[in-house]
Amino acid sequence: MEALEYFTVESPEPLGAEYYRRIMGIVLQDLDLIKIISRLHVYIDPKVPIFVAVGVIKKLPSFIRVRDCGSVKIEEMRATISIGNETYLAPLLIMLQGKFGKDRIDQPDRFTVIITSDQPIQADIEDMVVTDPSEGIYRDLIYAMQYAAPEGFKVRQQFVSKELFYYVASENTLDDAMVRSLVVEKFALMGVRYDP
Amino acid sequence: MILEPITYSGGIYRHEEMVELIEDLGGHIIQRQVIAGDVVIQANVPREDIGILKEVAKPLLGSITISPLVGTEIAVVSMSLEIHHLPHTSCDVAEYLRRYGSKTNMVGLARGFGKRIANLNVEERDVINEHDGAIFLLGNFEECIHYKFPTLRRGIHVPIVVTGGPSTESLKKIIDPPVEGYVGGIGRLMHRYRRPEELAKLEEIVAEISRVLDVRRAEIAKDPLSINPPRLMEVIKEQVSAIEEVTSPTPITVQMTGLRVKLPYETYAGAIRDCEIEDGIHIGDIAHILPSRMRNYIIVRIKPFSETNIVV
Repeated sequence: MEALEYFTVESPEPLGAEYYRRIMGIVLQDLDLIKIISRLHVYIDPKVPIFVAVGVIKKLPSFIRVRDCGSVKIEEMRATISIGNETYLAPLLIMLQGKFGKDRIDQPDRFTVIITSDQPIQADIEDMVVTDPSEGIYRDLIYAMQYAAPEGFKVRQQFVSKELFYYVASENTLDDAMVRSLVVEKFALMGVRYDP
Repeated sequence: MILEPITYSGGIYRHEEMVELIEDLGGHIIQRQVIAGDVVIQANVPREDIGILKEVAKPLLGSITISPLVGTEIAVVSMSLEIHHLPHTSCDVAEYLRRYGSKTNMVGLARGFGKRIANLNVEERDVINEHDGAIFLLGNFEECIHYKFPTLRRGIHVPIVVTGGPSTESLKKIIDPPVEGYVGGIGRLMHRYRRPEELAKLEEIVAEISRVLDVRRAEIAKDPLSINPPRLMEVIKEQVSAIEEVTSPTPITVQMTGLRVKLPYETYAGAIRDCEIEDGIHIGDIAHILPSRMRNYIIVRIKPFSETNIVV
Protein backbone atom coordinates (compact mmCIF):
# COMPACT_ATOMS: atom_id res chain seq x y z
CA MET A 1 0.00 0.00 0.00
CA GLU A 2 3.01 2.31 -0.38
CA ALA A 3 1.42 3.78 -3.49
CA LEU A 4 -1.06 5.77 -1.39
CA GLU A 5 0.09 9.11 -0.03
CA TYR A 6 -2.11 8.70 3.03
CA PHE A 7 -3.80 5.57 4.31
CA THR A 8 -5.18 5.26 7.83
CA VAL A 9 -7.72 2.98 9.44
CA GLU A 10 -9.08 4.42 12.66
CA SER A 11 -11.12 2.52 15.22
CA PRO A 12 -11.63 2.45 18.99
CA GLU A 13 -10.31 -1.15 18.78
CA PRO A 14 -6.70 -0.92 17.52
CA LEU A 15 -6.43 -4.63 16.71
CA GLY A 16 -9.64 -4.51 14.67
CA ALA A 17 -8.28 -1.45 12.84
CA GLU A 18 -5.12 -3.36 11.97
CA TYR A 19 -7.15 -6.26 10.50
CA TYR A 20 -9.25 -3.86 8.48
CA ARG A 21 -6.13 -2.12 7.20
CA ARG A 22 -5.02 -5.46 5.75
CA ILE A 23 -8.48 -6.22 4.36
CA MET A 24 -8.74 -2.81 2.70
CA GLY A 25 -5.22 -3.09 1.29
CA ILE A 26 -5.94 -6.46 -0.31
CA VAL A 27 -9.31 -5.39 -1.71
CA LEU A 28 -7.79 -2.29 -3.34
CA GLN A 29 -4.94 -4.35 -4.75
CA ASP A 30 -7.25 -7.07 -6.06
CA LEU A 31 -9.49 -4.56 -7.82
CA ASP A 32 -6.49 -2.61 -9.08
CA LEU A 33 -7.68 0.63 -7.48
CA ILE A 34 -4.43 1.72 -5.83
CA LYS A 35 -3.50 3.59 -8.97
CA ILE A 36 -6.61 5.76 -8.81
CA ILE A 37 -6.78 6.55 -5.06
CA SER A 38 -4.25 8.90 -3.55
CA ARG A 39 -5.59 9.30 -0.01
CA LEU A 40 -7.86 7.10 2.04
CA HIS A 41 -9.13 7.37 5.59
CA VAL A 42 -11.31 4.63 7.06
CA TYR A 43 -13.14 4.94 10.35
CA ILE A 44 -14.93 2.00 11.95
CA ASP A 45 -16.78 2.24 15.23
CA PRO A 46 -18.33 -1.12 16.13
CA LYS A 47 -20.21 0.47 19.06
CA VAL A 48 -22.52 2.57 16.84
CA PRO A 49 -21.89 0.55 14.52
CA ILE A 50 -20.67 2.58 11.55
CA PHE A 51 -18.14 2.28 8.73
CA VAL A 52 -16.87 5.45 7.04
CA ALA A 53 -14.39 5.57 4.17
CA VAL A 54 -13.35 8.91 2.68
CA GLY A 55 -10.81 9.30 -0.07
CA VAL A 56 -9.23 11.43 -2.74
CA ILE A 57 -9.20 10.18 -6.32
CA LYS A 58 -6.14 10.72 -8.53
CA LYS A 59 -6.47 12.28 -11.95
CA LEU A 60 -7.93 9.53 -14.08
CA PRO A 61 -6.39 8.47 -17.39
CA SER A 62 -8.08 10.15 -20.36
CA PHE A 63 -9.93 8.44 -23.19
CA ILE A 64 -8.42 5.39 -24.86
CA ARG A 65 -8.13 6.08 -28.58
CA VAL A 66 -7.47 3.75 -31.53
CA ARG A 67 -3.81 4.77 -31.63
CA ASP A 68 -3.42 3.53 -28.02
CA CYS A 69 -4.46 0.04 -29.14
CA GLY A 70 -2.08 -0.31 -32.08
CA SER A 71 -0.71 1.20 -35.27
CA VAL A 72 -2.99 1.99 -38.20
CA LYS A 73 -2.04 1.69 -41.86
CA ILE A 74 -4.52 3.27 -44.29
CA GLU A 75 -4.65 2.31 -47.97
CA GLU A 76 -7.58 4.32 -49.37
CA MET A 77 -10.66 2.15 -48.70
CA ARG A 78 -8.83 -0.32 -46.52
CA ALA A 79 -7.18 0.10 -43.13
CA THR A 80 -5.14 -2.41 -41.18
CA ILE A 81 -4.74 -2.07 -37.42
CA SER A 82 -1.82 -4.00 -35.92
CA ILE A 83 -2.81 -4.51 -32.31
CA GLY A 84 -0.10 -3.59 -29.82
CA ASN A 85 -2.18 -3.57 -26.63
CA GLU A 86 -4.93 -6.16 -26.38
CA THR A 87 -6.51 -4.73 -23.20
CA TYR A 88 -9.17 -2.76 -25.07
CA LEU A 89 -9.53 -5.07 -28.09
CA ALA A 90 -13.14 -5.98 -27.34
CA PRO A 91 -14.42 -2.38 -27.06
CA LEU A 92 -12.32 -1.48 -30.15
CA LEU A 93 -14.04 -4.17 -32.23
CA ILE A 94 -17.46 -3.15 -30.94
CA MET A 95 -16.76 0.49 -31.79
CA LEU A 96 -15.48 -0.32 -35.29
CA GLN A 97 -18.39 -2.64 -36.01
CA GLY A 98 -20.80 0.09 -34.95
CA LYS A 99 -19.10 2.64 -37.18
CA PHE A 100 -18.37 0.63 -40.34
CA GLY A 101 -20.79 -2.30 -40.09
CA LYS A 102 -20.16 -5.82 -38.85
CA ASP A 103 -19.40 -7.32 -42.30
CA ARG A 104 -16.66 -4.77 -42.99
CA ILE A 105 -14.52 -5.64 -39.99
CA ASP A 106 -12.35 -8.70 -40.24
CA GLN A 107 -9.91 -10.13 -37.71
CA PRO A 108 -7.81 -12.75 -39.55
CA ASP A 109 -5.57 -13.31 -36.55
CA ARG A 110 -5.32 -12.21 -32.94
CA PHE A 111 -3.21 -9.11 -33.61
CA THR A 112 -4.68 -7.86 -36.89
CA VAL A 113 -7.93 -6.03 -37.59
CA ILE A 114 -8.81 -5.14 -41.19
CA ILE A 115 -11.44 -2.57 -42.12
CA THR A 116 -12.75 -2.63 -45.71
CA SER A 117 -14.92 0.38 -46.39
CA ASP A 118 -16.92 1.45 -49.47
CA GLN A 119 -15.44 4.94 -49.27
CA PRO A 120 -11.94 6.27 -48.49
CA ILE A 121 -11.02 5.95 -44.81
CA GLN A 122 -10.11 9.23 -43.14
CA ALA A 123 -6.75 9.63 -41.40
CA ASP A 124 -8.49 10.73 -38.18
CA ILE A 125 -9.50 7.12 -37.50
CA GLU A 126 -6.50 7.01 -35.17
CA ASP A 127 -8.10 9.60 -32.91
CA MET A 128 -11.41 7.82 -32.55
CA VAL A 129 -12.36 7.14 -28.91
CA VAL A 130 -12.51 3.46 -28.03
CA THR A 131 -13.54 3.68 -24.40
CA ASP A 132 -13.54 5.86 -21.32
CA PRO A 133 -11.62 3.97 -18.60
CA SER A 134 -13.09 6.12 -15.83
CA GLU A 135 -16.58 4.79 -16.61
CA GLY A 136 -16.24 1.55 -14.64
CA ILE A 137 -13.87 2.90 -12.06
CA TYR A 138 -16.48 4.70 -9.94
CA ARG A 139 -18.55 1.55 -9.86
CA ASP A 140 -15.48 -0.49 -8.88
CA LEU A 141 -14.66 2.00 -6.14
CA ILE A 142 -18.05 1.64 -4.47
CA TYR A 143 -17.91 -2.13 -4.96
CA ALA A 144 -14.52 -2.19 -3.22
CA MET A 145 -15.95 -0.30 -0.24
CA GLN A 146 -18.95 -2.65 0.00
CA TYR A 147 -16.58 -5.60 -0.20
CA ALA A 148 -14.22 -4.32 2.48
CA ALA A 149 -16.85 -2.96 4.89
CA PRO A 150 -18.17 -5.36 7.56
CA GLU A 151 -20.94 -7.47 6.12
CA GLY A 152 -24.46 -6.64 7.17
CA PHE A 153 -23.94 -2.88 6.99
CA LYS A 154 -26.65 -2.55 4.40
CA VAL A 155 -27.86 0.98 5.14
CA ARG A 156 -25.45 3.17 3.25
CA GLN A 157 -24.72 6.53 1.74
CA GLN A 158 -22.19 7.01 -0.99
CA PHE A 159 -20.82 9.86 -3.04
CA VAL A 160 -18.29 9.94 -5.88
CA SER A 161 -17.14 13.05 -7.69
CA LYS A 162 -14.17 13.56 -9.99
CA GLU A 163 -11.86 14.24 -7.05
CA LEU A 164 -13.44 12.90 -3.87
CA PHE A 165 -15.52 10.00 -2.68
CA TYR A 166 -17.06 8.81 0.53
CA TYR A 167 -18.90 5.68 1.60
CA VAL A 168 -20.77 5.43 4.88
CA ALA A 169 -22.48 2.23 5.97
CA SER A 170 -24.25 0.93 9.04
CA GLU A 171 -26.87 -1.60 10.01
CA ASN A 172 -28.98 1.13 11.62
CA THR A 173 -30.70 4.08 10.01
CA LEU A 174 -28.17 6.81 9.35
CA ASP A 175 -28.73 10.29 10.65
CA ASP A 176 -27.94 12.76 7.86
CA ALA A 177 -26.42 15.39 10.14
CA MET A 178 -24.17 12.82 11.81
CA VAL A 179 -23.02 11.40 8.49
CA ARG A 180 -22.25 14.89 7.19
CA SER A 181 -20.23 15.91 10.24
CA LEU A 182 -18.35 12.60 10.29
CA VAL A 183 -17.45 12.83 6.63
CA VAL A 184 -16.28 16.46 6.94
CA GLU A 185 -14.24 15.55 10.04
CA LYS A 186 -12.55 12.58 8.35
CA PHE A 187 -11.77 14.56 5.21
CA ALA A 188 -10.21 17.24 7.43
CA LEU A 189 -7.93 14.60 8.99
CA MET A 190 -6.47 14.00 5.53
CA GLY A 191 -6.03 17.72 5.02
CA VAL A 192 -8.92 17.94 2.55
CA ARG A 193 -11.68 20.53 2.84
CA TYR A 194 -15.04 19.06 1.93
CA ASP A 195 -18.16 21.18 1.83
CA PRO A 196 -21.28 19.01 1.48
CA MET B 1 -8.49 -52.20 23.83
CA ILE B 2 -7.94 -48.51 23.13
CA LEU B 3 -8.51 -47.55 19.53
CA GLU B 4 -6.30 -44.87 18.00
CA PRO B 5 -7.44 -42.89 14.94
CA ILE B 6 -4.91 -43.09 12.10
CA THR B 7 -4.55 -42.17 8.43
CA TYR B 8 -2.72 -44.46 6.03
CA SER B 9 -1.64 -42.89 2.77
CA GLY B 10 0.17 -44.81 0.09
CA GLY B 11 -0.12 -46.27 -3.36
CA ILE B 12 -3.00 -48.38 -4.57
CA TYR B 13 -0.64 -51.34 -5.23
CA ARG B 14 -1.00 -53.97 -2.46
CA HIS B 15 -3.05 -51.62 -0.27
CA GLU B 16 -5.50 -54.50 0.27
CA GLU B 17 -2.87 -55.99 2.56
CA MET B 18 -3.16 -52.97 4.81
CA VAL B 19 -6.97 -53.15 4.75
CA GLU B 20 -6.90 -56.82 5.76
CA LEU B 21 -4.34 -56.20 8.49
CA ILE B 22 -6.44 -53.42 10.03
CA GLU B 23 -9.49 -55.70 10.01
CA ASP B 24 -7.52 -58.65 11.43
CA LEU B 25 -6.16 -56.51 14.27
CA GLY B 26 -9.71 -55.62 15.26
CA GLY B 27 -9.64 -52.11 13.83
CA HIS B 28 -12.36 -50.39 11.83
CA ILE B 29 -11.99 -48.66 8.49
CA ILE B 30 -13.89 -45.41 8.54
CA GLN B 31 -13.17 -44.17 5.06
CA ARG B 32 -11.21 -45.48 2.09
CA GLN B 33 -10.55 -43.01 -0.71
CA VAL B 34 -8.89 -44.03 -3.94
CA ILE B 35 -7.64 -41.05 -5.94
CA ALA B 36 -5.96 -42.10 -9.19
CA GLY B 37 -2.94 -44.18 -8.07
CA ASP B 38 -3.12 -43.12 -4.42
CA VAL B 39 -5.15 -44.40 -1.57
CA VAL B 40 -6.00 -42.76 1.75
CA ILE B 41 -7.46 -44.90 4.50
CA GLN B 42 -8.83 -43.47 7.72
CA ALA B 43 -9.24 -46.04 10.43
CA ASN B 44 -9.40 -46.73 14.14
CA VAL B 45 -6.79 -49.30 15.15
CA PRO B 46 -5.65 -50.73 18.49
CA ARG B 47 -3.02 -48.44 19.96
CA GLU B 48 -0.52 -51.24 20.70
CA ASP B 49 -0.58 -52.45 17.07
CA ILE B 50 0.44 -49.18 15.39
CA GLY B 51 4.05 -50.44 15.30
CA ILE B 52 2.99 -53.50 13.24
CA LEU B 53 1.07 -51.28 10.83
CA LYS B 54 4.13 -49.07 10.37
CA GLU B 55 6.27 -52.14 9.64
CA VAL B 56 3.82 -53.38 7.02
CA ALA B 57 3.47 -49.90 5.50
CA LYS B 58 7.24 -49.48 5.04
CA PRO B 59 7.76 -51.85 2.05
CA LEU B 60 4.55 -50.48 0.48
CA LEU B 61 6.07 -46.97 0.69
CA GLY B 62 3.00 -45.87 2.65
CA SER B 63 2.85 -43.78 5.79
CA ILE B 64 0.84 -44.03 8.98
CA THR B 65 0.00 -40.82 10.80
CA ILE B 66 -2.00 -40.29 13.96
CA SER B 67 -5.09 -38.24 13.05
CA PRO B 68 -6.88 -37.13 16.19
CA LEU B 69 -10.02 -36.06 14.34
CA VAL B 70 -10.79 -39.29 12.45
CA GLY B 71 -14.33 -40.40 13.18
CA THR B 72 -15.65 -36.94 14.03
CA GLU B 73 -18.01 -34.69 12.14
CA ILE B 74 -17.50 -30.99 12.75
CA ALA B 75 -19.64 -28.04 11.72
CA VAL B 76 -17.61 -25.08 10.43
CA VAL B 77 -20.00 -22.21 11.02
CA SER B 78 -19.44 -19.23 8.75
CA MET B 79 -21.36 -16.03 9.43
CA SER B 80 -22.62 -15.96 5.85
CA LEU B 81 -21.86 -17.37 2.43
CA GLU B 82 -21.12 -13.93 0.95
CA ILE B 83 -17.80 -12.86 -0.52
CA HIS B 84 -16.96 -11.15 2.81
CA HIS B 85 -16.64 -14.46 4.66
CA LEU B 86 -15.95 -17.00 1.96
CA PRO B 87 -13.81 -18.58 0.75
CA HIS B 88 -10.73 -17.59 2.73
CA THR B 89 -11.07 -18.30 6.44
CA SER B 90 -13.95 -20.76 6.26
CA CYS B 91 -12.54 -22.95 3.51
CA ASP B 92 -9.02 -22.91 4.90
CA VAL B 93 -10.23 -24.02 8.32
CA ALA B 94 -12.57 -26.67 6.90
CA GLU B 95 -9.86 -27.99 4.62
CA TYR B 96 -7.25 -28.09 7.36
CA LEU B 97 -9.52 -30.00 9.74
CA ARG B 98 -10.10 -32.56 6.98
CA ARG B 99 -6.37 -33.13 6.75
CA TYR B 100 -6.50 -34.40 10.32
CA GLY B 101 -9.26 -36.83 9.51
CA SER B 102 -12.36 -34.89 10.47
CA LYS B 103 -15.41 -34.77 8.26
CA THR B 104 -16.36 -31.10 8.10
CA ASN B 105 -19.59 -29.53 6.97
CA MET B 106 -19.74 -25.84 6.27
CA VAL B 107 -22.80 -24.17 7.79
CA GLY B 108 -23.29 -20.74 6.24
CA LEU B 109 -25.74 -18.82 8.36
CA ALA B 110 -28.51 -16.95 6.58
CA ARG B 111 -28.20 -13.94 8.91
CA GLY B 112 -25.06 -14.43 10.93
CA PHE B 113 -23.42 -11.18 9.83
CA GLY B 114 -23.63 -7.72 11.39
CA LYS B 115 -23.98 -6.87 15.07
CA ARG B 116 -27.57 -6.15 16.10
CA ILE B 117 -29.08 -8.00 13.14
CA ALA B 118 -27.17 -11.28 13.66
CA ASN B 119 -29.44 -14.26 14.05
CA LEU B 120 -29.51 -18.06 14.11
CA ASN B 121 -32.59 -19.83 12.82
CA VAL B 122 -34.06 -23.10 14.05
CA GLU B 123 -32.88 -25.13 11.08
CA GLU B 124 -29.30 -23.89 11.45
CA ARG B 125 -29.39 -24.65 15.16
CA ASP B 126 -30.64 -28.21 14.55
CA VAL B 127 -28.08 -28.85 11.80
CA ILE B 128 -25.23 -27.68 14.06
CA ASN B 129 -26.52 -29.86 16.90
CA GLU B 130 -26.23 -32.95 14.69
CA HIS B 131 -22.43 -32.62 14.74
CA ASP B 132 -19.78 -33.61 17.28
CA GLY B 133 -18.63 -30.05 17.64
CA ALA B 134 -18.97 -26.64 16.05
CA ILE B 135 -16.32 -24.11 15.22
CA PHE B 136 -17.65 -20.56 14.97
CA LEU B 137 -15.59 -18.28 12.73
CA LEU B 138 -16.31 -14.82 14.05
CA GLY B 139 -15.12 -11.39 12.98
CA ASN B 140 -12.53 -8.85 14.00
CA PHE B 141 -14.21 -6.66 16.61
CA GLU B 142 -14.58 -7.54 20.31
CA GLU B 143 -17.64 -5.32 20.59
CA CYS B 144 -19.52 -7.24 17.85
CA ILE B 145 -18.53 -10.69 19.15
CA HIS B 146 -19.57 -9.73 22.68
CA TYR B 147 -22.93 -8.45 21.43
CA LYS B 148 -23.90 -11.12 18.94
CA PHE B 149 -22.42 -14.37 20.22
CA PRO B 150 -25.15 -15.03 22.85
CA THR B 151 -27.68 -14.96 19.99
CA LEU B 152 -25.63 -17.26 17.78
CA ARG B 153 -25.06 -19.91 20.45
CA ARG B 154 -28.67 -20.07 21.64
CA GLY B 155 -29.88 -23.69 21.75
CA ILE B 156 -26.57 -25.22 20.70
CA HIS B 157 -25.53 -28.04 22.99
CA VAL B 158 -22.53 -29.50 21.15
CA PRO B 159 -19.04 -28.31 22.17
CA ILE B 160 -18.21 -24.93 20.62
CA VAL B 161 -14.81 -23.57 19.61
CA VAL B 162 -14.78 -19.85 18.87
CA THR B 163 -12.29 -18.12 16.61
CA GLY B 164 -12.09 -14.38 16.11
CA GLY B 165 -9.84 -11.43 15.51
CA PRO B 166 -9.25 -10.49 19.18
CA SER B 167 -6.65 -12.42 21.19
CA THR B 168 -7.57 -15.69 22.91
CA GLU B 169 -7.53 -13.92 26.30
CA SER B 170 -9.92 -11.23 25.08
CA LEU B 171 -12.25 -13.86 23.64
CA LYS B 172 -12.29 -15.66 26.98
CA LYS B 173 -13.12 -12.38 28.70
CA ILE B 174 -15.98 -11.32 26.44
CA ILE B 175 -17.74 -14.66 26.02
CA ASP B 176 -19.98 -15.43 28.93
CA PRO B 177 -20.92 -18.16 29.82
CA PRO B 178 -17.68 -19.70 28.58
CA VAL B 179 -17.50 -22.04 25.60
CA GLU B 180 -15.32 -25.13 25.32
CA GLY B 181 -12.49 -23.69 23.21
CA TYR B 182 -11.04 -20.42 21.93
CA VAL B 183 -8.55 -19.50 19.24
CA GLY B 184 -7.85 -15.79 18.94
CA GLY B 185 -6.06 -13.81 16.28
CA ILE B 186 -7.90 -15.39 13.36
CA GLY B 187 -10.70 -13.14 12.20
CA ARG B 188 -12.05 -12.01 8.86
CA LEU B 189 -9.34 -12.01 6.20
CA MET B 190 -9.22 -11.29 2.51
CA HIS B 191 -6.50 -13.75 1.55
CA ARG B 192 -5.64 -17.42 1.84
CA TYR B 193 -3.64 -18.62 4.82
CA ARG B 194 -0.10 -18.89 3.52
CA ARG B 195 2.25 -17.11 5.91
CA PRO B 196 3.92 -19.28 8.59
CA GLU B 197 2.12 -17.49 11.44
CA GLU B 198 -1.22 -18.02 9.70
CA LEU B 199 -0.54 -21.72 9.17
CA ALA B 200 0.46 -21.92 12.83
CA LYS B 201 -3.00 -20.57 13.68
CA LEU B 202 -4.60 -23.42 11.73
CA GLU B 203 -2.48 -25.87 13.72
CA GLU B 204 -3.70 -24.13 16.86
CA ILE B 205 -7.31 -24.64 15.78
CA VAL B 206 -6.70 -28.36 15.20
CA ALA B 207 -5.02 -28.67 18.61
CA GLU B 208 -7.86 -26.81 20.33
CA ILE B 209 -10.64 -28.82 18.68
CA SER B 210 -8.75 -32.07 19.42
CA ARG B 211 -8.50 -31.04 23.06
CA VAL B 212 -12.21 -30.20 23.21
CA LEU B 213 -13.18 -33.50 21.59
CA ASP B 214 -10.85 -35.44 23.90
CA VAL B 215 -12.75 -33.99 26.85
CA ARG B 216 -15.96 -35.13 25.19
CA ARG B 217 -14.48 -38.60 24.56
CA ALA B 218 -13.56 -38.84 28.23
CA GLU B 219 -17.16 -37.97 29.15
CA ILE B 220 -18.47 -40.66 26.79
CA ALA B 221 -16.01 -43.19 28.26
CA LYS B 222 -17.63 -42.79 31.68
CA ASP B 223 -20.85 -44.22 30.26
CA PRO B 224 -19.72 -46.08 27.12
CA LEU B 225 -21.85 -46.47 24.03
CA SER B 226 -23.68 -49.74 23.43
CA ILE B 227 -21.69 -50.20 20.21
CA ASN B 228 -18.68 -48.57 18.63
CA PRO B 229 -19.90 -46.27 15.79
CA PRO B 230 -17.47 -47.67 13.15
CA ARG B 231 -18.62 -51.20 14.01
CA LEU B 232 -22.25 -50.14 13.57
CA MET B 233 -21.28 -48.66 10.21
CA GLU B 234 -19.95 -52.05 9.11
CA VAL B 235 -23.21 -53.73 10.16
CA ILE B 236 -25.27 -51.28 8.10
CA LYS B 237 -22.92 -51.65 5.12
CA GLU B 238 -23.32 -55.43 5.22
CA GLN B 239 -27.08 -55.52 5.61
CA VAL B 240 -28.44 -52.46 3.77
CA SER B 241 -27.30 -52.97 0.19
CA ALA B 242 -28.77 -49.64 -0.99
CA ILE B 243 -25.84 -47.87 0.68
CA GLU B 244 -23.61 -49.15 -2.14
CA GLU B 245 -25.50 -46.96 -4.60
CA VAL B 246 -24.95 -43.70 -2.70
CA THR B 247 -22.47 -41.56 -4.62
CA SER B 248 -21.41 -39.38 -1.68
CA PRO B 249 -17.72 -39.78 -0.68
CA THR B 250 -18.86 -40.95 2.74
CA PRO B 251 -22.23 -42.72 2.36
CA ILE B 252 -22.11 -43.29 6.11
CA THR B 253 -20.38 -40.60 8.15
CA VAL B 254 -19.00 -41.74 11.46
CA GLN B 255 -19.53 -39.46 14.43
CA MET B 256 -18.39 -39.83 18.02
CA THR B 257 -21.76 -41.04 19.27
CA GLY B 258 -23.49 -42.16 16.13
CA LEU B 259 -23.70 -42.14 12.37
CA ARG B 260 -25.15 -40.08 9.58
CA VAL B 261 -26.55 -42.45 6.96
CA LYS B 262 -27.06 -40.78 3.61
CA LEU B 263 -30.24 -42.64 2.64
CA PRO B 264 -33.79 -41.26 2.66
CA TYR B 265 -35.33 -41.55 6.12
CA GLU B 266 -38.85 -42.49 5.00
CA THR B 267 -37.66 -45.47 2.94
CA TYR B 268 -34.77 -46.87 4.94
CA ALA B 269 -35.29 -45.99 8.61
CA GLY B 270 -37.26 -49.23 9.17
CA ALA B 271 -34.65 -51.38 7.41
CA ILE B 272 -31.86 -49.90 9.51
CA ARG B 273 -33.83 -50.30 12.72
CA ASP B 274 -34.35 -54.01 11.91
CA CYS B 275 -30.69 -54.82 11.12
CA GLU B 276 -29.47 -57.55 13.43
CA ILE B 277 -26.08 -56.93 15.01
CA GLU B 278 -25.69 -60.25 16.81
CA ASP B 279 -27.68 -62.72 18.95
CA GLY B 280 -31.04 -61.14 18.23
CA ILE B 281 -29.94 -57.60 19.09
CA HIS B 282 -31.20 -55.13 16.51
CA ILE B 283 -29.98 -51.63 15.79
CA GLY B 284 -33.35 -50.33 16.98
CA ASP B 285 -32.63 -51.77 20.44
CA ILE B 286 -29.42 -49.85 20.99
CA ALA B 287 -29.86 -46.67 18.95
CA HIS B 288 -32.34 -43.96 18.09
CA ILE B 289 -32.97 -43.75 14.35
CA LEU B 290 -33.93 -40.13 13.66
CA PRO B 291 -34.57 -37.97 10.62
CA SER B 292 -31.72 -35.55 9.95
CA ARG B 293 -32.25 -31.83 9.27
CA MET B 294 -29.62 -32.16 6.56
CA ARG B 295 -31.49 -33.19 3.37
CA ASN B 296 -33.50 -36.29 4.20
CA TYR B 297 -30.64 -38.26 5.69
CA ILE B 298 -30.86 -40.53 8.71
CA ILE B 299 -29.15 -39.80 12.00
CA VAL B 300 -28.34 -42.81 14.17
CA ARG B 301 -27.75 -41.90 17.82
CA ILE B 302 -26.27 -44.76 19.79
CA LYS B 303 -27.69 -45.13 23.30
CA PRO B 304 -25.22 -45.43 26.20
CA PHE B 305 -24.75 -48.64 28.17
CA SER B 306 -26.63 -47.22 31.16
CA GLU B 307 -29.77 -46.99 29.04
CA THR B 308 -29.64 -50.35 27.26
CA ASN B 309 -27.55 -52.62 29.49
CA ILE B 310 -26.10 -54.02 26.27
CA VAL B 311 -22.60 -53.75 24.83
CA VAL B 312 -21.99 -55.42 21.49
